[in-house]
Amino acid sequence: MTTLASEPGTLAAVSAVDLVKVYGAGDTAVRALDGVTVGFERAQFTAIMGPSGSGKSTLMHCLAGLDKATSGRALLGGTDLTTQPDRVLTRVRRERIGFVFQSFNLLPQLTAEQNIMLPLDLAGRRAERGLFSHLTTTLGLTDRLNHRPAELSGGQQQRVAVARALVTRPEVVFADEPTGNLDSRSGAEVLLFLRNSVRELGQTIVMVTHDPGAAAYADRVVLLADGRVAGDLDRPGPDTIATALRDLAAAR
Amino acid sequence: MSGVLRTQLGESARRPSRLLLTGMAVLVASFVVYATVLAQQITRASILDGLSQTPEAAALVVTGKDNGVPTEQLARLARVPGVTAAVGRVDAGGEVNGRGLSLSSDPGSGPLSTVKVTEGHYPARTGELAVTPRTADRMGLRVGTTFQMATTYDEDGRPGKPRSLTVVGVVSVPDDYGQQAYAPQPQISALTGADRVSVVELAVAPGQEAPVRSAAEAIAGAGAGVRSGADVRLDEARAVADDVDDVFSVVAMFVAITLVAAGLVAASTFRIIFAQRTKQLALLRAVGAGRGALVRALIAEGAMTGLATGVVGVLAALGLGHLVPVIAGAFGTDLASPGVPVLPALGVIALAVVGTVLAVLTPAVSASKVSPLEALRTASTSPARKGIGWPRAVIGVLLAGGAGLVAAYVIMNLPTPDQKNYDPQSMLMLVVASGGLAFLALIALGPVLVRPLLAAAGWPLRRLGPLGRLAVGGVGGAPRRAAAVSVVVALGVTLIAGSLVGASSVQALLERETASSAPADFEVTAADTPLDPKLADQVRARRELTHVVPYRKIAAVTVTGSETKLEANDLAMDAVPGIAKLDVKKGTWHGLRPGQVIISGFAGDVSDLKVGDRTTITAGRRSVPVTVAATLPDSAPLGSGLVLTPQDLTTLGAPAGYSGLLADAVRSGDVARNAADAALRQTVTGPGVGVTVLADQRDEIESALSTLLLIAIGLIGLTVLIAVVGVGTTTALSVVERVRESGLLRALGLSRGGLRAMLTAESGLYGVLGALLGLLLGVPYAWLAVSALGQNAPLTLPGFRLVAVFVVLVILTALAGVLPARRAARVSPVVALATE
Repeated sequence: MTTLASEPGTLAAVSAVDLVKVYGAGDTAVRALDGVTVGFERAQFTAIMGPSGSGKSTLMHCLAGLDKATSGRALLGGTDLTTQPDRVLTRVRRERIGFVFQSFNLLPQLTAEQNIMLPLDLAGRRAERGLFSHLTTTLGLTDRLNHRPAELSGGQQQRVAVARALVTRPEVVFADEPTGNLDSRSGAEVLLFLRNSVRELGQTIVMVTHDPGAAAYADRVVLLADGRVAGDLDRPGPDTIATALRDLAAAR
Repeated sequence: MSGVLRTQLGESARRPSRLLLTGMAVLVASFVVYATVLAQQITRASILDGLSQTPEAAALVVTGKDNGVPTEQLARLARVPGVTAAVGRVDAGGEVNGRGLSLSSDPGSGPLSTVKVTEGHYPARTGELAVTPRTADRMGLRVGTTFQMATTYDEDGRPGKPRSLTVVGVVSVPDDYGQQAYAPQPQISALTGADRVSVVELAVAPGQEAPVRSAAEAIAGAGAGVRSGADVRLDEARAVADDVDDVFSVVAMFVAITLVAAGLVAASTFRIIFAQRTKQLALLRAVGAGRGALVRALIAEGAMTGLATGVVGVLAALGLGHLVPVIAGAFGTDLASPGVPVLPALGVIALAVVGTVLAVLTPAVSASKVSPLEALRTASTSPARKGIGWPRAVIGVLLAGGAGLVAAYVIMNLPTPDQKNYDPQSMLMLVVASGGLAFLALIALGPVLVRPLLAAAGWPLRRLGPLGRLAVGGVGGAPRRAAAVSVVVALGVTLIAGSLVGASSVQALLERETASSAPADFEVTAADTPLDPKLADQVRARRELTHVVPYRKIAAVTVTGSETKLEANDLAMDAVPGIAKLDVKKGTWHGLRPGQVIISGFAGDVSDLKVGDRTTITAGRRSVPVTVAATLPDSAPLGSGLVLTPQDLTTLGAPAGYSGLLADAVRSGDVARNAADAALRQTVTGPGVGVTVLADQRDEIESALSTLLLIAIGLIGLTVLIAVVGVGTTTALSVVERVRESGLLRALGLSRGGLRAMLTAESGLYGVLGALLGLLLGVPYAWLAVSALGQNAPLTLPGFRLVAVFVVLVILTALAGVLPARRAARVSPVVALATE
């Protein structure tokens, strides 16, 4: 069951309009994104899926202001990120976007608490005390706050990274294969927490993954293939997702 | 070529920037070492040029049997095959208008000439002379002047018939005393009628030294001396300044330390590079590469890097070494050319290869010990090792203990003032050995020391906000790397601090020396009868002279409790600007009042008097009770043992007439000095009254010192260069190593400027740590070295200059981080995060 990708409207926290990204030039040019139009609604947990090389990471990088698109628009709220200078993008990343990476990416020299507070520190803002304690309590990090990353397990490191992404109350959190380096139990903990933060805090989350099990935690799954939107599933189960992916592979 | 080696070299080809950075360290190292060798050559030759009369080109020097070499032998020596030039040296002298004029022989051109014609032409006929510029001014012997002077003397030393001589040229010479004239040897011999020259100098074609030497020995006959020019120069220099060897040993010390610094930089660079390659090495191990093959491959790579960069470094140093004397010459300082020392050049290249391989060995072995599993882990899960193992700690403590023991031995065996048979060279070497051990201890214990030091030094930075905290965290997060870099900086700062402390001690020593022997531009001395007291007023009336201070001296006074006869004077020390900076052991010599005395170091030793002690000074049957106001480290001004007020000296029976007076020219420079000299000689006339131009002596001391200082600055500059390059390479490597971390910070919203500021601050922090360690080591060791020199030099702390060094070094190290920081800030966060 596929529907058209929802049009970017007032409800979308972040959206792409006819987004094109070309790497290289001439004969070796690769169209990683080939005219993607998609919107991600507020307070929704969306998963982007697709085979390797489908452009899902590139889409995320362009929407997050990490990379510049070749043409089209990448809208965050009312801001078109494709036309902004680096100074503005830096501000946007610091104040309006949160990141969770596959390989955690904590700073080894900082404690868990310092890692969580880093984006606020960089912005020169104070943490909302209530939010910080809510996050650390729910993520089970209260007795790990003074440990350095090397003294934490993989699951704990990723939970620190999740707290870091949420502590600024960003408009949208981008998660790039957040469970790729975790065992299934730790992965499930992180995904559950992400889903709960959408329900309880009204957080908008966009997650890139290739694991149907992980995508099943999302409210909606957007499928990409060859740099284009190839499908859009509403609250699918793991089996529905797996079938859709198989069809996608067969169609090529 | 093995597969492993090929992979390694492929890696170098793929990432030339890494090879460049590694090579940079070795290149700078070999550049610095060879430059130091050249600097040593320049120093040696320049000092010898300054202190010896024999030109450098004289390969052999022939001294005759009894009083010189017969001119007939000189002619035969000149014809020996292989001799490119032969010159006989002969001296004569005479008096012109009551002032002495010395005549010396010099060929005027060619390799063995020591003079350079600046005006007119060089004498070619008997009776023609060339004079020095000062001689022309002071004695009125301008070009074209003809004068009468006796050049022969009878058996009783009475001058013969005066001859007519003509000045045809002006020549510049290394030391101009204002009473020298030159002409070729045959012309001088013709004037004196002597058939002998005092020595014959031979310039010899390369490689012909041995045959020429035996030929020369055969001609000069048994009992005559044929010595190498180098030996003669060294002996002559030693005869003038007996501490020449100390200077050379200090220079040798610098060479040794520079070697250590270069090795340290290379080793730490390699360590970082291999740490970066850990993953790749592990992958090679995982696919079946043997541990031995890995080590061999890495060593081969090290050797190649060493060879290539060693050659480039040596060539660069050679270029600079030959440029420096030219530049210094343009600024008026004569430095000798270093030549092309081939053996040291080959040595440095060999050293670069061996050193690089040795530097490679440790990290190579530890890198090849990496478990193949490491290849499968992500970078972030294998953090940098923080502490040090107990074997390293034990070695570090043992080294520190060794340094302490050697230092304690030196302190216990420090020379007493004027100690005989004291050997400063071996003591200096012990100081260096102790310093070396202390440094090795620092290397071993560095990672442990960095933490507390960083906690203190990083405090103000941490207060500045998240960027400061990140910078401090970045340095503290990798204490091994921080320690490795800081130690190199510390080495540089130790040397600079040591040299500054040493230089300021030597300067104080020099001021002491000047105060004692040349306190003013001119000294007028009376021989038998004292100077008329009215004379001082007449001298004061001359516009060309200022600071006229007369003094009286009485010999043979004694201090209660000692039989030793001392000399006392009543010089008003406050009125003589030349002794304003004279240092004291204790007390103050300013504002001496009646009933007070200033005593020299020697007088203090024989009488055992301290500042504040009361004693009685006796001259014959007269005596005066006094209190000691100041004790001096060495001799009192004018070489006396005691300085009293005129009132007290009168009580001791000094006559009203002056023993002498000091005066300065109104301005500095030769014109004012010559005018003052002329004025003084017009005013003070009479039998036995002598005028000495002390300023000329002071000029000589100062010019020798400024040459030394120039060379010292050059040597220190090299060490600073290596320290800054060390910080630069390390920061660059650490940026490459942590590009992922930079990408993360950018993704989290750190601006480009913020990232640059953070990395620059980190690099500056290495400077702070290193400079702190360097000051902590450098100052005490400099004091120890100054004490061990045995010159009774004061221990000084040039605080302002040390603070300036600290600040400048921190700025330099921060600047070293600017380029890598800019590079890191340019990388896109996506690319950075994708990097392994």
